Amino acid sequence: MKPGKPEKTTSLAFSNLVVSRLGGETITLCYQCGTCASSCPVAKITERFNPREVIKLSLLGEKDEVISGDAIWLCCSCYNCQERCPQKVEIGDVIYALRNIAFKEGYIPDVYSKFASAILNDGRIVQVSKFVENKRPALGLPPLQPTGIDALRKILSATGFDKLQKKKEETP
Amino acid sequence: MEEAKVGVFLSDCGNKISEILDFNALANYVKNVSGVVVVKRNSEFWRGEGLQTIVDTVKSGKINRVVVAECLPKLSEVKIVQAVEKAGLNPYLVEVIDLKDHCAWPHRKTPSEATEKAKAMLLAAIERAKLLEPIEKLEFPAVKSALIIGGGIAGIQTAVDLADLSFKVNLVEKAPFLGGLAARAGRFFPTDDCAICIQSPTSDVKTITHTSRKCVYRSGFSEIPDLNILTNSKVVAVEGVPGNYKVTIEKKPRYVNELKCVRCDLCTAVCPVKVPDEYNAKLKTRKAIYMNVPNVHPPVYVIDESVCRFHDCAKCVEVCPTDAIELDQKSERITLNVGSIIVATGFQEFDSNVIKEYHYGDYPDVITNLELARMVDGFGPTGGVIVRPSNRKPAKKIVMIQCVGSRDRRYNAYCSSICCMVSLKHAALIKSAYPGADITICYIDIRTTGREHEDYYERAREMGVKFVKGRPTEISRDPETGKLIVDVEDALLKRFLELEADLVVLAPAMVPAEGTKELAEILGLELDKDGFFKEYNAKLRPTETRLRGIYLCGGATFPKDAPTTSLHAHSAAIKAAKLLTTGKIVKDQRTAVVNEEYCGDCEFCPVTCPYGAISLVPTTEEHFVARVSDLLCEGCGVCVGTCPLNAIELRHSRPNQMLAQMKALMSVNGTPKPLVLAICCSECGHTAVDSSGMAMMQYPANVRVMKVPCTGILQVHQFLEAFRAGAQGVMVVGCKSDGCHYEVGVEKAEKKVQLARVLLKEYGIEPERLAMFNMVFIEGDKFAEAAQMMTERLEKLGPLQLMGGS
Amino acid sequence: MTSYALFLGCTIPARQPSYELSARKALAKLGIELVDLANMTCCAPPPVRSVDLESSLAVAAYNICLAEEADLNLVTLCNGCFESLAMANAMLKADRKLRAKINRILSRAGKEFVGSKEVKHYPRVLINDIGLKRLKQNVSKPLSNLKVAAFYGCHALRPSALLKLDDPERPHVLENLIEALGAKSVEYRNKLKCCGGLLRGYSDELALDLAREKLANTTKAGADCIATLCPFCFVALDIGQIQVKSKFNETYDMPVLHYSELLALALGIDPKELALETHKIKTDKIINKIS
Repeated sequence: MKPGKPEKTTSLAFSNLVVSRLGGETITLCYQCGTCASSCPVAKITERFNPREVIKLSLLGEKDEVISGDAIWLCCSCYNCQERCPQKVEIGDVIYALRNIAFKEGYIPDVYSKFASAILNDGRIVQVSKFVENKRPALGLPPLQPTGIDALRKILSATGFDKLQKKKEETP
Repeated sequence: MEEAKVGVFLSDCGNKISEILDFNALANYVKNVSGVVVVKRNSEFWRGEGLQTIVDTVKSGKINRVVVAECLPKLSEVKIVQAVEKAGLNPYLVEVIDLKDHCAWPHRKTPSEATEKAKAMLLAAIERAKLLEPIEKLEFPAVKSALIIGGGIAGIQTAVDLADLSFKVNLVEKAPFLGGLAARAGRFFPTDDCAICIQSPTSDVKTITHTSRKCVYRSGFSEIPDLNILTNSKVVAVEGVPGNYKVTIEKKPRYVNELKCVRCDLCTAVCPVKVPDEYNAKLKTRKAIYMNVPNVHPPVYVIDESVCRFHDCAKCVEVCPTDAIELDQKSERITLNVGSIIVATGFQEFDSNVIKEYHYGDYPDVITNLELARMVDGFGPTGGVIVRPSNRKPAKKIVMIQCVGSRDRRYNAYCSSICCMVSLKHAALIKSAYPGADITICYIDIRTTGREHEDYYERAREMGVKFVKGRPTEISRDPETGKLIVDVEDALLKRFLELEADLVVLAPAMVPAEGTKELAEILGLELDKDGFFKEYNAKLRPTETRLRGIYLCGGATFPKDAPTTSLHAHSAAIKAAKLLTTGKIVKDQRTAVVNEEYCGDCEFCPVTCPYGAISLVPTTEEHFVARVSDLLCEGCGVCVGTCPLNAIELRHSRPNQMLAQMKALMSVNGTPKPLVLAICCSECGHTAVDSSGMAMMQYPANVRVMKVPCTGILQVHQFLEAFRAGAQGVMVVGCKSDGCHYEVGVEKAEKKVQLARVLLKEYGIEPERLAMFNMVFIEGDKFAEAAQMMTERLEKLGPLQLMGGS
Repeated sequence: MTSYALFLGCTIPARQPSYELSARKALAKLGIELVDLANMTCCAPPPVRSVDLESSLAVAAYNICLAEEADLNLVTLCNGCFESLAMANAMLKADRKLRAKINRILSRAGKEFVGSKEVKHYPRVLINDIGLKRLKQNVSKPLSNLKVAAFYGCHALRPSALLKLDDPERPHVLENLIEALGAKSVEYRNKLKCCGGLLRGYSDELALDLAREKLANTTKAGADCIATLCPFCFVALDIGQIQVKSKFNETYDMPVLHYSELLALALGIDPKELALETHKIKTDKIINKIS
């Protein structure tokens, strides 16, 4: 029997998508041992997030449920799961890859879209107000150096980051 | 060399192929080839009247070379060659070709083209036969004695088998006592019978032949004649060749005379030194002079020289009633002369210390399966009671964690295969002694694949062992109560559990035994990516290695349970015996030979030979030459392909023989298509051609096949010669890249093909005319496709214009 | 005198002048020169990574390029900045293909990542460049009687394969640094567990749950204060403490100090120069205990 080409079924398509994204390459190594789940401080306090389940759903191809849901935004990014995983699945990075896919498809929580706008506008996720900046000499702090906003904008335009933002403004 | 007189015998395979090939034309053609003196036809030549014809012709003295066109040469050649030898001609002056599967069947739609190809094939066989030289059969001494490295369950069983076959057996064990890992295990699954017997084989003469077939303890093992057991001993050097190894053993001093000790135990009573007993998982102490358990072999005490005070104390010497204690014993070097070596070094538990979140080594109540086995063992340090090492109180709540360091890409990616059963065994044994015990096993998967293993799993569940599907993230300890807490998600319940435990038992990975790397270097053996000894071929040769004469058995190749280890041990014994049964190793000299005048001190061939068959021998002050061991050489020719000076040749596949074949195959076309030479290795490539013909796959007759032992034999200039000989295209067909039957040949061939392509380009020849293909026997369709594809490619490129004409 | 390019990040200059003051003064006193480079940007921490990993890698790499051009190693004060920059540095040094990809993006801003410099978190600088012995010698006001709960925060240690600050399961760098100041480092339950800082804004409910656990465990262990290495952890446990009080009706009164503040105090720097009044949970009782 000749080996054929794998068909584009739903499950393969989504896990292939995750594997092809930066950070998501290791998702298929998962064998559902659950070490990540018991390592996760968030999973212990809410049923809304469980890293093992998120990976399982992704491998089964449940794209819509994963990227439109709020589970992937509840990861606190502590990387304990990635540290302990016996298969060296980069779980923390996989969650970022899933967030990136969600963002690209327009599923964007407000607080994150604010961060994205802030960085494009100011080069900073938290802006130093003039009021605070003016207090520095009195406190004994040296003046702030200028932010490299031009360079930043060039970089973020090269990666398409700025277009990700635009997409959100377009979708209702 | 005498003048070649060739007899050609044409079989039409029971008239089957004479409808396609014109045998009259073939016979006439062959008659006119210079050197051919006899031409005969029949429906078959490999048996019956046909074979007799060959025998008679040979005996008549008319011919001294035999060429046969016969079906299934891989079967028929053996018969023909045997008969020729019996008739008095050197059997290596025979060439058998396959006109059925290599010509008639694949080209049945173009019979006239097939006939022309058959002419070329016959011419090639004849030209090669004319250049063949007689090959001798050599005899090498084979000492009927074996060395078994490792005195555990595998080594002991192999030793018994070989001793039964009247071999002298030397069993070398680095520990002071036999038994290895299995002995400490207490009991074997799935039968729950005693494992401790392994370390205490003794003789009960009355029952030896009748009732002790299931018991090592009463098997009479130690009384087997010619069984030389060397404990406290290690192999430090191995020299020599298969059948005749010289092995140097270093025997550490026992400090107790094996012939005088009567095991009265007075010495341990007075010894002032107490150390934690490693054998008993440090659950108790032992003295500097000790015996692991009362029933061991050899039944003689040993002194731990790292802690003994020797002459500063010598209290044991004072009390020994037989003066058996000899504090001045020194290490001995012992030399053994053996014919085969069997490695039975087993495996050990992975050090779980590195998985810090489990606190092994840190919390005394976190132990491993092997340590638990000591507690379960009635002969053990706690008399069969399961206790918490921290306070010696009975452990009522036990949590077991599977896959610790196994199936773990940070440490050992593989599954250690036996740990699920080991943990189930412990759980079941504890439950049957203490039905009230609370045991939970945390697992990723439960693997019970062997015979009766699933029943065992069911029984454990019936006894009330609990199971949690989840791998714990960490073990912590309650600072107040000292109880352990196992933090795990039960994936099936989707619930987070904090399991309280008196005792946590880890099932660590099984990793290669200590000293494996060093031993592999001493023996020249390969290790696989996990550090285990690598068997030659997992499917067909599970107990053999690349080196003839050295065998493997037991856990040394991969963790395995007792029944599988037994199978393995018996297999290794047979293999080791086969080599030596006749007292000599007979081997034909189809090996490589060095032309010492040309050999240029370069060292390429000894390094390349996969079998270590080539050594460098000094001839003068600064000059050395390569010399091939006929015993070790496997006749692949990879050295030939490597030598930059053409100083080495394979006796039965000389360059002049190959060139003659090439020219002959390209001399007759008979088709409108460009001629293609397909050089196929004898292992996978040539057999793929066989299978394409057997399945009657069609490819054009302009493709001509030439067999070489291994594609690694080919030199770059030979590809160029093929073009000069008339090939418009050349296919090199070998085994798959990671499956070369001679280890490195196909990868060498690939490099040479690449280099040749560069040269072709320089010469203004399209590099695509030379291509490499990799396939296996059953991929006949791949060969047919490749042949078709090559032909079409060459048709597109047009005829080859060689500079200077040719 | 060792010099480092200081990576200040966004949060510290915007919200935590006490952290900046204590770090600058303490390191200066110990002989470490901090150079402020122009044109730095946000490090692209998790919030940015959530939008696009590749962008955040490129932005982090850009900042490292500035340090490479100035021929200085980078020192960070914030765990988030440390993780973002150190991760990018390690990944790009190891993966040639990825590096080429990111350099194609960086070329638009006229930069090229070479991989010639290190990114260090300031505790490492203290251990490696100063050393515990010299640190002890410089302590003029030992913090005796002070019981400190060391809190690394997640991104000082993990992912350990890329950050390599300390052993992720049994770290000791921070505890050693605390004890070098004369204080006592107390052990407490679930020391290495996340404070929930990064959940603030998306799910305050869960974030406060985790903060509360941290506050409860450190209190149970008898700590006088918590020492942090990150402005996010600081916010989670400082401002968060007030929110925990209103949500759970539990008062902890556990001052949270940046390690650099404890360091500055132990080195004899006047507490009045450290703008400690910006802490929401008052630090007065700590100042009193150590004077």
